[in-house]
Amino acid sequence: MTAPALSARDVSFRYGGNAVLSHVSFGLSAGEVVILLGPNGAGKSTLLRLLSGTLGPASGAVALFGRAPEDYSRREMARNLSVVGQDPPVDFPMSVEEYVALGRFPHLGLFGGASPGDREMVSRAIASAGLTELASRPLSALSAGERQRAAVARAIAQDARVMLFDEPTAFLDIRHRVRFHEIVERLAAEQGVGALVASHDLSLSAEYGDRIVLLAAGAVMADGKPEAVLTPENVFAAYGVEVACDQNPATGAVRITPVRKSRVGREPK
Amino acid sequence: MRPAVVYPLLGAVFAGAMALSLSTGSTHIPPSEVLGALAGGGTEMAARVVRELRLPRALLGAMVGGALSVSGVAFQALLRNPLADPYILGVSGGAAVGALAASLFLTAAFLPLPASAFLGAAAAASAVFLLARRGGGVTRERLVLMGVVVGAFLNALIMMMVTMAPPGKIPGAIYWLMGDLGQGTLIRVGLLAPYVAVGLAALMLMSRGLDLLLLGDEAAFHAGLPVERVKTALYLTASLLAGSVVAVSGLIGFVGLIVPHGARVLVGSAHRRLLPAALLLGAAFLTLADVAARTLSPSGELPVGAVTALVGAPFFLVLLRGRRGGA
Repeated sequence: MTAPALSARDVSFRYGGNAVLSHVSFGLSAGEVVILLGPNGAGKSTLLRLLSGTLGPASGAVALFGRAPEDYSRREMARNLSVVGQDPPVDFPMSVEEYVALGRFPHLGLFGGASPGDREMVSRAIASAGLTELASRPLSALSAGERQRAAVARAIAQDARVMLFDEPTAFLDIRHRVRFHEIVERLAAEQGVGALVASHDLSLSAEYGDRIVLLAAGAVMADGKPEAVLTPENVFAAYGVEVACDQNPATGAVRITPVRKSRVGREPK
Repeated sequence: MRPAVVYPLLGAVFAGAMALSLSTGSTHIPPSEVLGALAGGGTEMAARVVRELRLPRALLGAMVGGALSVSGVAFQALLRNPLADPYILGVSGGAAVGALAASLFLTAAFLPLPASAFLGAAAAASAVFLLARRGGGVTRERLVLMGVVVGAFLNALIMMMVTMAPPGKIPGAIYWLMGDLGQGTLIRVGLLAPYVAVGLAALMLMSRGLDLLLLGDEAAFHAGLPVERVKTALYLTASLLAGSVVAVSGLIGFVGLIVPHGARVLVGSAHRRLLPAALLLGAAFLTLADVAARTLSPSGELPVGAVTALVGAPFFLVLLRGRRGGA
């Protein structure tokens, strides 16, 4: 295996005396889509914050292309790593295009303007998020799914080789969730982006993750191919929920189905 | 609207406001004679009224309106709150205390100086900033709340200082507190100009940082902005603008709140375009408010701060009621 683009080695973090993460190790390679799963409070957001340099670990080390986040200047860091969080804000009038163009910030000179190349990157990012028709609309006129795609487009315009996503599909319907994962898959395949996606959606993770990291109580419970990680035993241990796992006949990917207790053992009709 | 249309339009509105201001007063002077007087000709009376009385006052009003507006733009972006302005944050109160302290107890005549007002504004801003700081970051809700608390405290100081002032200075101080452009001698215009120029230039240089701050601190950080450093620089710059304005014209409220909204409707939120638009619109707005202050009351002048509040308070209400969702 090649050296990972982004890695955490034996990372621990405490918040007010409570251990949030203990001895977490993990790596993300170029062109790979890794999905970070785990119940609420497992430490997913904290891990993303450590990886993006927002927080510093109590012990252990984070490395982005072999260097610690604090060794990067802010702009240099942003050229190598982008983060997609919650919805873009709608308090101030801003068009989709203006919003996505803000992603070019770390590539611009401090006082210079945007070059034709920058504008080209912005319209390509808008196109790859499927928002070309809406480019001149204000963000406030977009649906939640479209706004989320605008946030992804801004990160694409930022043109970093590593992208982190913090529960980007939490409030979206299945159509927008699938669409999001298709965009990320394309970025990884075509541009070699390493993507780490924190998610709560086991089914889509199984389908779209090249690898899955299952986090529980601040530690890595399992890390590997979806079919190796998403077993009924692991899911029960992490979430306390019984699931059945089989294969999606259309794609061969592992398929997760919740098991309704009151029906278990009944004869199928 | 397209920038190629907006800026000439705003320039024309501003020029019209200036023309109206120069020709309006106890004696009406038609615009043609105003132009003559400005060019150095015209009757001696018209030349004196226009050049020595009305022009300094109109220039002061324009500068004050423009500076308050760009300061409001900066504070709104800093706090990511379209309802913020220097008054809500206690910055103007701090400036007033600084200016009052110097002019009531240090100088012979009542003459508030920009430097002392800036010190007061910066002190109030840092107090609000430090009080709102908890665990490294500053949340905008805490910042606004601390601004209100610090502002209330500063108001008490202002009332005490005015009460204890030498009797001869009290009327001037009270009129100044209500927002006053009547003090607009060319000297004051000259005092204020460098502060406004430096503040405006600094904001223009930081315009991309202002854009990014609209996304929230964390998103701005991930987009490559050294957030805390830029915010501190912006806070000081916006305080400099608001503080120096308070020194020469007292407390004129709501300009920094209303004008940024109007300018955003015209050119959007990108600060490279928004700041110049707010400057022009704010200059025109306060010039017109001053014309109203000088002509509305038959018995004399109204304080211009009263006029801006009469317009601004209902506007604030409309904004408040029209806002969907939380802070």
